[in-house]
Amino acid sequence: MGGKRKNREEEENNEIVEEEREVSANKKREILPSLIKNKQKRSAVHAKLKHEKKKEKKKKSKAREAAERRALELGEEPPPKPVPRTIENTREADETVCRPDDEELFAGNDADEFSSILKREATPKILITTCRFNSSRGPAFIKELLSVIPNAHYYKRGTYDLKKIVEYASKKEFTSLIVVHTNRREPDSLLIVGLPNGPTAHFKLSKLVLRKDIKNHGNPTTHMPELVLTNFTTRLGHRIGRMIQALFPQDPNFRGRRVVTFHNQRDFIFFRHHRYIFESKESKKEAKGKNTNDGEGETILKGNVTARLQECGPRFTLKLISVQHGTFDTKGGEYEWVHKSEMDTSRRRFFL
Amino acid sequence: MPRTIAVDCPGCPPIRAITFDELGLIKVIESRSNTASSSTPKIVDKWGEPDATRCILSASINDRKSHPLLALARKNGHIELINPLNGEIRASTIVEDCLEDPIIGLHLFRKEQEELSSMSCRLLTCTTKGKAALRTVEVSNRPTDSVWDDSPRTWNVCASGDILCSSVDGSENYALFGGKGVELNLWDLEKCTKTWTAKSPPKNNLGIFTPSWFTAATFLSKDDHHKIAAGTNNHQVRLYDISAQRRPVISFDFRESAIKAVSADLDGHTIYVGTGSGDLASVDIRTGKLLGCFLGKCSGSIRSIVRHPELPVIISCGLDRYLRFWNVETRQLLSAVFLKQHLTKVVIDSNFSIEETDRAAVDPPSDDTRVNQNEVEEDDASPPVKRKKSSKEGQQHKKLKFKKKNKKTVEEDDSS
Repeated sequence: MGGKRKNREEEENNEIVEEEREVSANKKREILPSLIKNKQKRSAVHAKLKHEKKKEKKKKSKAREAAERRALELGEEPPPKPVPRTIENTREADETVCRPDDEELFAGNDADEFSSILKREATPKILITTCRFNSSRGPAFIKELLSVIPNAHYYKRGTYDLKKIVEYASKKEFTSLIVVHTNRREPDSLLIVGLPNGPTAHFKLSKLVLRKDIKNHGNPTTHMPELVLTNFTTRLGHRIGRMIQALFPQDPNFRGRRVVTFHNQRDFIFFRHHRYIFESKESKKEAKGKNTNDGEGETILKGNVTARLQECGPRFTLKLISVQHGTFDTKGGEYEWVHKSEMDTSRRRFFL
Repeated sequence: MPRTIAVDCPGCPPIRAITFDELGLIKVIESRSNTASSSTPKIVDKWGEPDATRCILSASINDRKSHPLLALARKNGHIELINPLNGEIRASTIVEDCLEDPIIGLHLFRKEQEELSSMSCRLLTCTTKGKAALRTVEVSNRPTDSVWDDSPRTWNVCASGDILCSSVDGSENYALFGGKGVELNLWDLEKCTKTWTAKSPPKNNLGIFTPSWFTAATFLSKDDHHKIAAGTNNHQVRLYDISAQRRPVISFDFRESAIKAVSADLDGHTIYVGTGSGDLASVDIRTGKLLGCFLGKCSGSIRSIVRHPELPVIISCGLDRYLRFWNVETRQLLSAVFLKQHLTKVVIDSNFSIEETDRAAVDPPSDDTRVNQNEVEEDDASPPVKRKKSSKEGQQHKKLKFKKKNKKTVEEDDSS
C-alpha cells in the first residue's frame, strides 16, 4: 500500500515511470497459488489462473487463424507455421550421427559381419530358442515370430548352455540366433546373436501384444516381407539397424503387401507388422455420382488411391541394453556399448 | 528454453596421438594450443585405405627426437615401419600363416645398439600361438630398399594356449608374455631363455580352481623389471614380484567384466585399469586400493591406455569409437574425439610441442602441408635435426628463420 501512495505522489512528476512502477508492484503482489495455505482459496486462485491462461491461448490461436485466413484471401503466402518444440527436435547434438557422405561409414559397412547377407551373397537363416523355462505367452510369441521372420527355425532350449547353442548354430550355418527370455511367463528380453562372429545385442522387450489380442488383426501370408527401419541415425543405431536388417531376406515380395516395421523413437524401437492395401473406395462414389461417362470416372478412380493398413502379428517395443563384440559371452566379453546410469543425465540425449 | 547440458570438456594441452583401428586406418590427432591454454584435439591426418583385412592388431612407437619410427602389425601378416610424422612406409614385410596365427604383440626397441648402424632397428613380435621373433631391419628411404634379416631369431614362448598380452620392460632386456591358458612368463631377450614363470593361485575356499587367463600385463616401472601388474579375464588385477614369489603379491577384483588394458604410471605404483565394459580406474597397486574411476560416458570396451611421459594426461581408446583424453590428477575427461571405427591401439608421439603449432599459425594452412613435406624430404637426406623442444628461444628463432627460408624456396618452386 505504501508503494501505491508513493506512486500517487510521483504521479505529477512522471507518468511513464509511474506506470512501470505499478506493473512491478503488481508483480510483487502476485502470489503463486502454491504459496497459499488455505486449500479453498488456493484452488480458486489456481482455477482463475488456469482460466486466464486458456483464454490467452485461445486468443492467440484465433489471431493466428485470422492471419492465415487473411493471407489466403489476399493471395499472399500464409505466415510460417510454428514448429512445436519436442524432445526429438531439441535433441542434444551428437557427433556420432551418420552422414550420407561419409566414406568411412560405407567402408565400415562393407567390412562388417552383416555385409554378406545384405549384399545378398548369403541368405539369412535364423534359429529361435528360449530360456530354459518357457510357457504361456512365451511359446505363443515365438509362434508369431516364426510367422514374421522367414526361414526361422525353432529349437527347444533343453538344458544346453547358450555358448553350446551358439557353437551348434554356427556349425549348422545359421546366420543369427534369437533367444527369447521370459520372466514370470512373460517375455521380457530378447537376445540377438549374429553368427558366427557377429555382435550380440541385448534388448529389453516390453508392451508385447500378441496377434489374437489385436482388434481386427489380419493373418500374414508367407510372402517375403518388406522391411522399414526408421530413425536409426547414429553409428550405434546404424549398426543395430543393420543387425535387424540381416534377420530378414533382402528380396521382398511386393505382391505379398506385407511390411515389418522397426521404428526408433527416443531409443525405443517399436515393432509393428502390417498388411497394406491400396484402395479406391471414396473415389468410386464420386464416379457413381458423375455417371455421365465411365471413362472419366475410371481415371479419377486411379488417381485417388488410398492406402489402408491392417495390423497383423505381434506388437512390441525393444530397448537396447548392450551390444557385445563377438558372440554371447557374459564373463570375458567385450562390450561395444553398454547402457550406464551415468549416461542418463539428460532427457534429450539419445544413442540410437 | 530446452535445458541442454553442455558437456564441459576443458580441452587438452598440446599433444599428438596416433590411433589405429579395425579398418587399418591410421589417424593422427593433435591438440594444438598456444602455451598454457588448452584446446580441443582434432584429426589432422588420416593414412591408409579402409580395408578390413588390414586391421591393425598391434603397434609400437620409437619416439626419439630424430628419425622416429612407428611399427605396426596388421591382420594380413604385414609388419610395417612407418614414419610417424608423415605416414610414409619405410619398410614392410609379410609373415606367413598369419590368418590362423596373428601377431598379437609387437615392440620396437628404443635402445640403439652399438654394433648396428643408426638406421637399423630391432623388433620383437609375438603371435597368438606363442611364436616370438626378434627381427632386425635396415631402414632406408624407400620401402623396397629396406632389408629385413633373413633368419629372425625365433623361439616358442608357450607350448599350448593363446598368448594375449606381451610387454617389454624399460631396459628392453626382458619380455613378458601371458594369455589364455598361459601363465605369465618372463624371458631374457639376450639369451632367449625363460627366467621366471608365475604360479597360478591356489583353489579358493570352495575348492574351485580357475584356469589362468591373462588379458593384460605391464611392467610396473621403467627401470625395474621385477614388478609386474597383470589383469585377468575373471576381473582380477594382480601384482607379481619376481624377486619375492611366484604367486601374486596382491590380487584384487575390479568390477564385473574382464580387464582389457593395464597401464603403469610413471611414479611406479599407480596403474590404470580398463575393463571390457568401459570402466577406467586408477589403482594404487602397493595397497590394491582404488584411487578413483574415470567417469565420462565411456560405454565400450577399453582396448588401450597410454600415459603421456611428461604431461599428467592419459589417453584411452576402445570399441566405443572414441579417443578420450583424461587428466590423471583430477580424473576429469579433458576431451573426446569420435573416430568412427573400433579402435585397437593408441600411441603418443611425445616429442610433439607447441613449436610446430606456432609454425602453423605463422604459415597459411595451404602452404603448411607443403612445407611439412619438403622439410621431411630434406630431413631424410640431411643429418637428423628435426624436432627439438621449444625450451630455448634462440633455437626457436633459428628454426623459424629456417622455415621461412623453406617457405620461400617452396614459393619459388611454385613460381618456376
